[in-house]
Amino acid sequence: MSTLFFNNILAKTPAERFRSAFLVDDRWQLYFKGLGNTLIMSFFAVLIGIVLGVLLAIILYTNKKTGRLKILSAISNVYVTVIRGTPVVLQLFLMYFIVLMSVKNGIVVGSITFGLNSAAYVSEVARAGLESVDEGQMEAGRALGLSYPKTMIKIVLPQALRNMIPALFNEFIALVKETSVAGYVGITDLGKIPGLIQSRTFDYLFPLLFASLLYLVVVCLLTVVEKFLEKKFSKGDKKLVYKKRFGGKKKCATP
Amino acid sequence: MCDAIKKEPLIKTVDLCKSFGDTLVLDHISENIYEGEKVVIIGPSGSGKSTFLRCLNLLETPTEGSVFFEGEELTRSSDLNEHRKKMGMVFQHFNLFPHLTVRKNITLAAVDARLHANRKQKLKIPKKQVIAEENEKAMALLKRIGLESKADAYPATLSGGQKQRIAIVRSLAMDPKVMLFDEPTSALDPEMVGEVLALMKELADEGMTMIVVTHEMRFAKNVSTRVLFMNEGKITESGTPQEIFEAPKDESLKTFLSKVL
Repeated sequence: MSTLFFNNILAKTPAERFRSAFLVDDRWQLYFKGLGNTLIMSFFAVLIGIVLGVLLAIILYTNKKTGRLKILSAISNVYVTVIRGTPVVLQLFLMYFIVLMSVKNGIVVGSITFGLNSAAYVSEVARAGLESVDEGQMEAGRALGLSYPKTMIKIVLPQALRNMIPALFNEFIALVKETSVAGYVGITDLGKIPGLIQSRTFDYLFPLLFASLLYLVVVCLLTVVEKFLEKKFSKGDKKLVYKKRFGGKKKCATP
Repeated sequence: MCDAIKKEPLIKTVDLCKSFGDTLVLDHISENIYEGEKVVIIGPSGSGKSTFLRCLNLLETPTEGSVFFEGEELTRSSDLNEHRKKMGMVFQHFNLFPHLTVRKNITLAAVDARLHANRKQKLKIPKKQVIAEENEKAMALLKRIGLESKADAYPATLSGGQKQRIAIVRSLAMDPKVMLFDEPTSALDPEMVGEVLALMKELADEGMTMIVVTHEMRFAKNVSTRVLFMNEGKITESGTPQEIFEAPKDESLKTFLSKVL
């Protein structure tokens, strides 16, 4: 049986295999439908991840520096430990079949699950970012009579974000690809599509290559956004100033 | 000083103690600082000078005792931010906000303070107008120190002396009643110390109340009205610059002066 199956594929020309992977029954649309779902889940997951993650980080940071928010920081600690300590697939099952079983829309469940998952990772990234900002910045803000939250938002957080960008995008890139486990609970995301098509054509080659290519394109676009944000946030950065002043050329100053 | 004593002190500490773990850094300090005084605090490193200064606006929370500002007990105040707006502070490492332009550094807290005050008094002055007025004030302050061309520059492009002078006018933008200086020239290259001290002297001549922790003995001699000598968490001698520098009584002060002069 299996020899017959392999013979079948190998007997086809690449053009035929391409046709059955993309053109027959307008299958190419499936990839983009899957891509759409992946992008929607990733977008909301990133959104939830960054908002909740930064919030968790601020709680943990504040507790460490001032000793306040004891209960909240204990909860945050447990949250981060549990989320980071269990596989995301099991979290997805737990959400899809138990916690959010009344929610019929898999994309919504996926967005929430991946968002809550990402928040735990983002919180550690953001905490490191906050800690990288010189303590004198908080002191200067407070000494000028700004409240703790205001100093946090206007002075410490913008500087922390700048330092966080590379690690943050590392997390988001991993997140986009991680959403491919959504297929386990029947969400037709991009990762699920090659399997769907293969079940009709018995041919994985082009579906896998094309789906991978689409992931690659998304990740590359994210990298472009990362570079853009890094540039935008680097206003006032020492190195940039140096570059501007000396035209980016390293000149040897030896006599 | 006689007429000053009748007045309520601007800043008063009562049995102020601060310990870090088991180390007692401030040991029951009770001191009064009156309006118009220029107090310079000197002493060997580790004597608690900076900690004392930082306790005055509660950047350091005292372990025991209390701090009064304008008769109000800061250590119990629920309105600490309001009091801090009237106490300017200048740090050793400037602590300018590197992500903001010089102008924004100066106006950020001032604008916030005015919007807050307007809201409290239910004044309906548009935010734009407040920002415009504060920008104008910032430019006037920058002009005063000859750095108006740097308004749109970021702090990383400035020299240490320029940064510290901008940090000083950032505090001045809040119209403070007292200025606290925490070793303002210690992180500067020697050739830039002069410009910062000159600005501080100008402020002193204008009658600003100042408390300065410094190692600049010449500044202490020439500008201060009173010198406090701290040693091992206590103010062991206090007096006019003449008394402190020409006729020191305390043994540790004599040793200290013999090392620094």
